[in-house]
Amino acid sequence: MENILESLATCIEFGKSDKSIAYPPELKGQDGAEELTKKALEAGISPNDVLKDGLVKAMNTVGEKFTQNKIFVPHMLMSARAMNSSLAVLKPFFKSGEIQRKGVFVIGTVAGDLHDIGKNLVAMMVEGAGWEVIDLGVDVTTEKFETSILEYPHCVVALSALLTTTMVNMEDTVKALKEKYPKTPLLIGGAPVTQKFSNRIGADDYNADPQGVIEYLNKIA
Amino acid sequence: MTGLQLIKAAMNRKEVERIPWVPFVGVHAATLLNIDAITYFKSEQHIINGAEAAIKRYKPDGIPVTFDLQIEAEALGCEINWSKVNPPAVVSHPLADGTLKIADLKVPCRCSGRIATVMNAASKIKENNPDVALYGLITGPFTLALHLFGTEIFMKLYDNPAHVAELMEFCTKVAKAMSDYYLEAGCDIIAVVDPMVSQIGPDTFETSVTPYCKDLFSHIRDCGALSSFFVCGNAAHNLEEMCHCAPDNISIDENIPLELLKEVTDKHQISFGGNMKLTSVLLMGTAEESMFEAIDCMDKGGKTGFILAPGCDVPMSTPVENLEAVTNIIHDTYQQDILRAKGQSATQIDLLNLDNYFTNKKVKIDIITLDSQSCAPCQYMVKAVQLAVEEIGSQHIEVVEHKIKNKEGIQMMLSLGVKNLPTICIDGSIEFISIIPPKMELIRCIQKHLELKNTALV
Repeated sequence: MENILESLATCIEFGKSDKSIAYPPELKGQDGAEELTKKALEAGISPNDVLKDGLVKAMNTVGEKFTQNKIFVPHMLMSARAMNSSLAVLKPFFKSGEIQRKGVFVIGTVAGDLHDIGKNLVAMMVEGAGWEVIDLGVDVTTEKFETSILEYPHCVVALSALLTTTMVNMEDTVKALKEKYPKTPLLIGGAPVTQKFSNRIGADDYNADPQGVIEYLNKIA
Repeated sequence: MTGLQLIKAAMNRKEVERIPWVPFVGVHAATLLNIDAITYFKSEQHIINGAEAAIKRYKPDGIPVTFDLQIEAEALGCEINWSKVNPPAVVSHPLADGTLKIADLKVPCRCSGRIATVMNAASKIKENNPDVALYGLITGPFTLALHLFGTEIFMKLYDNPAHVAELMEFCTKVAKAMSDYYLEAGCDIIAVVDPMVSQIGPDTFETSVTPYCKDLFSHIRDCGALSSFFVCGNAAHNLEEMCHCAPDNISIDENIPLELLKEVTDKHQISFGGNMKLTSVLLMGTAEESMFEAIDCMDKGGKTGFILAPGCDVPMSTPVENLEAVTNIIHDTYQQDILRAKGQSATQIDLLNLDNYFTNKKVKIDIITLDSQSCAPCQYMVKAVQLAVEEIGSQHIEVVEHKIKNKEGIQMMLSLGVKNLPTICIDGSIEFISIIPPKMELIRCIQKHLELKNTALV
């Protein structure tokens, strides 16, 4: 049984979503994440163990490798896609409550900014770490973030900005949300964003990569 | 040497007398013209005026025609979102949503879309400024492929590498055509701006980028022009591969240490540049911080092969005085030395207690200099003081020169509150800053202090 989960973790780590995906070459023609998730459940492994010892374990390795510059964005996206194939199989167990998420993570790129690669990577990795992710997309106003906080009062909110000009909007949103919802953790990130900027605007945490976000979430979960 | 000659020398890795300066002014030109970014990017005349304004203010050795990585994508059918404060952004990817297939794509002609606007502007800018190296910026093949295909391309690298290869081949044809248009318009340098390559690893770069970019840089060389490879983001892991593409120059942003770039490009005998901190210093810092940043980059880059430039496109609202400060410091080696000394002093030096330094017996004149042996203004200031003292009679006056080349000099400079060099302080008060006073004025000033001292003694 452990072998199934190990194989599942390998498929997610290397981005093999299903049998039809020819990558990585040494796994060509073999089961991918989707098939192995089904097999694991059929073998009686609990959905929680599939999530914990298959998906979360694999995505943790992926995050660490990314931080260490051992893998890059394309590889990470392949892993995230494989993870999603597996999550699709596990979906009924989330709905039934058999699998408990660690919490709700709301993420969006701030108003006026249309960049989404970095935001998407963080969303995928956090989902892979066992959180329910509410992705508000790009060009997200303060009001939209606020609506989500009202819907999920215990959520963590993450804001992304890729432009120096939209960092101003990030500041406005963070200050407005902090004033109304001081207990909601606000995380920020994006190419021009720095720790210094984060301190100045009163965000709770800044991270240069997705793994940093996961580490922060692990601390508070 | 003209700016163009300096840039050519640097790109050929010849030692230069002064490090050349290329402010990447694109959207920032809108600030100089007091218009919004949309109006600027859509108008030939505004692009010309923007470059002219930047040349006038920032005295560059080289300047881009403009900085817009959406021109080709727009001409090829990508939807563009316009912003008043930023360059436009690509928001649709016609190959991803199935609107178009690679076979449908045609290399845009010089007359299509805003290509004509920019090329006409390039001709005029070159005509008016033949001595400034004019950079034509083209979208690098990988970034253009990403504009056309969206982020799906990252997974296609694994799922269907042949498809990516076909697209890269097309994007390279577009890049070559754009280079030709810019060169025909009179540009001296073609900068291949490919920021998205920072997102892939060296193995992917080697197979999916190097063959195409190598071909592109070879084409530019065959046309008799020089080339630069611009990246932004942390592309440190791809620097070796970028060198294998054989551009004449590699330009980076602050995410890659300049020392690392120098080490790699020195090994490959390629020119290098960029790295000035855009957000934390040029945009949000002060004029003095901008000067320190320029000096720091120049000291790391050196005079062989290095071109001083911001890390990327200068943000629209970058304070003009910050870029002017960089412009001034580049041309003023004397001020550079002063700032170096000041920079060194800021963190390491304790202030002196001067309570017992000044006495009732003599008027004390402290001249803070870089070194009167080697710095002309310092030499004249020391001489002026000596002549004035001779005239008055030296028995009640003591003159001390403090050279800030040593720690004691810097300590005295800071303790007296002196900020510029050379400066004359008399009995601890700053009397003459930078300007050498006329003899009579200096004599009057010294006599005033002598009288104060006499009064005090009485």
